[in-house]
Amino acid sequence: MNAIETKNLTKIYNNNFIAVNSLDLDIPKKSIFGMLGPNGAGKTTTIKMLTCLIQPTSGQATVGGYDVQKNPDEVRRLLGMVPQQVSLYKDLTVMENSQMCADYYGVPQDERDSRIEDLMELVDIKYAKDKRVGQLSGGQKQKASLVASLVHRPDILFLDEPTIGLDPTTKRTLWDLIRELNDDGHTIILCSHDMHEVDMLCDYVGIINTGNLVAYDTPQGLKDSLLEANRHEITDALGKISEESDSPTSSRDDLEDLSLKKMSVLLKNNDERIIEKIRQSTNLKSVEVARNGRINLRIDSFDDMAVQNVLAEIMSLGGIITSIYTEEPSLEDVFIKSTSEVNEDDRA
Amino acid sequence: MIEPNKFWWMIKKELISLKRHPARLVSILAFPIIMILLFGYGMGGEMTDLPIVVVSQSDGNLTDLTLDTIKNTETYHVVEVIDSLDEGKQRVDSGEVKAAIILPSDYDEDTSQQKGVTLYIDSSDQMASQIIESSTQAIFYRISNMVASQTSVSTQDANIEPSIAHSLDNFKDDISLHINRIYGNIKYIDFLVPAILGMTIMMSCMMGMGATIAGERETGELARLFMTPTSVSTVIGGKIAAKLLIELVRALILIFMAVLLFNVSIKGGFLQTFIVLVIGALCFVGFGIMLSARTSTQEDYAQISLPFSMPMMFVSGVFYPIETMPWILQKLAYVFPLTYLNDAMRGIMLKGQTLADVWLDLVILLGFTLLFFIIGVKRFNRDV
Repeated sequence: MNAIETKNLTKIYNNNFIAVNSLDLDIPKKSIFGMLGPNGAGKTTTIKMLTCLIQPTSGQATVGGYDVQKNPDEVRRLLGMVPQQVSLYKDLTVMENSQMCADYYGVPQDERDSRIEDLMELVDIKYAKDKRVGQLSGGQKQKASLVASLVHRPDILFLDEPTIGLDPTTKRTLWDLIRELNDDGHTIILCSHDMHEVDMLCDYVGIINTGNLVAYDTPQGLKDSLLEANRHEITDALGKISEESDSPTSSRDDLEDLSLKKMSVLLKNNDERIIEKIRQSTNLKSVEVARNGRINLRIDSFDDMAVQNVLAEIMSLGGIITSIYTEEPSLEDVFIKSTSEVNEDDRA
Repeated sequence: MIEPNKFWWMIKKELISLKRHPARLVSILAFPIIMILLFGYGMGGEMTDLPIVVVSQSDGNLTDLTLDTIKNTETYHVVEVIDSLDEGKQRVDSGEVKAAIILPSDYDEDTSQQKGVTLYIDSSDQMASQIIESSTQAIFYRISNMVASQTSVSTQDANIEPSIAHSLDNFKDDISLHINRIYGNIKYIDFLVPAILGMTIMMSCMMGMGATIAGERETGELARLFMTPTSVSTVIGGKIAAKLLIELVRALILIFMAVLLFNVSIKGGFLQTFIVLVIGALCFVGFGIMLSARTSTQEDYAQISLPFSMPMMFVSGVFYPIETMPWILQKLAYVFPLTYLNDAMRGIMLKGQTLADVWLDLVILLGFTLLFFIIGVKRFNRDV
């Protein structure tokens, strides 16, 4: 069963601006879902509809099985939200803010404080429980915000740019916490522009652009699909080129390169003679030497055999390898491709 | 449905905030005091101790009596009694004093002819000159009667621009006027204070409530509350309850300060005055809610509320009776709730009326309140 389901979800604002356009989105229960999209893509509007802050113009959305329009209070009980801008009362302490949130969610009085204390321990903010939120650092504020958002034990937790502006250590602590919460059974919807964060944490990623879902898969699936897409493009292009007898070879090579994964090696005996031998090898493709001396190559895949074959070839040519580096398409590549395609379509 | 626990949190939150920000607390408490001082002393007080000189060119009992009377009049502060007419005029011309009362050389002579006293006055200060004129007229009217003489007073143009001169002849009165003040001897400050109380409540409720809502919308605190299973009316109701509590304390301070500083009488009683102020506060909190329902920032709110609050302040009869205003402003005054609050406040405080006597004002105020709340809650959405 899905935690969130939308069908033809649409929001048109008064000025006829279509913020969300027939969005069909399923977010599996107990998953970490990354919601990506450029600024103004419709992410915020989607979240506002799912959190019952605004009404959809048409279509349906259910959260935990409850319709957002018919049972908004049930939906609200299931949701927790950690906004990008910490929205706790700055003059109240972490404890007071959490108590207030608990009471607004109707948490039983006899459980309230013990729940808060447990959550504070979980996110490691108990030491600052009597500090005013206005006196906390950025990371502490996010932790306090998490406590206030989790106090009613929501099934689904929205995190909007939760680590923006945080130092790398605090960021990793929060990542660990997000994983822990997910292990505890919370469905997490993560909105972030940090592709690395999304790649690290999310089970599924949806990319929204101009109010539509333009890509949806696991992070690896999205990256693989980019390779596949390139491969199809290249195959088509190569077919086209082969029909033209005078097609230059260089075009064929350039296109082929796009379908391959990047790999680089650093040689101890990085001299011209070895590099020339590597360049001439028919088994290695797109050999380039970077400024730092790394030899960049392209290979079909990162499976053991493919990598081993490349290494064996270089060693057979006399190269002494000191380090190996492999690079596949990033989620950022997927994001740019997915959103630029739509933008180009729009322009067309 | 209203949930008391959530209401209480709003009140608690406001009180905690105030406790932790002593400066804010002082400002809240000082605001009504400053208002009442500013308007009370600045606008509502009587003019006294206006500096003058007396040019006395005569000598004798009547002169002594006149000088004593002038010196004992609160309106004046007699800087000096001199005998040079030119010096007297020069001191008025230079602005050192507001006027020179010139007693002629024949002032003390027993003559059947009229005696010409001159009031040489700086008429560029309209308020001061009017007060000096009327006081001077009253003094010589009294002296004239006392000595039953033929003393007459005339004023002479002071040769300063703009200037006025009044002929103050014929003080003898044949007709006796008995003034029957039905609400006692009411001074301008008495007229002003009830409306100042109303205006202060209006300003702090409207500006405070709206700015709080817009501010919390801007910082996202309101969004967090709206994401909880809580109705809009509970969230807004909680805010109103918190604001109202603070405003009631302010109202108490205002009334206390008015009585303490200006000896303002509250003929209708303290409780009735307080009840009227509470109704007024509720009405203006509603006004604030209505205006802030769709504003997204505090700055927006300030811009939106100004065209309402400023005209209301000047048109609703705070400083001058509505009847003295141009007809268009008179009509406009009746659109503003502050007019009805002022009317009810003056009725209770000055005339000693009861709540039943000012029922129409109260019904209109409550009507406005209901209207503002309905529009406010309807317009209010969770989209923050």
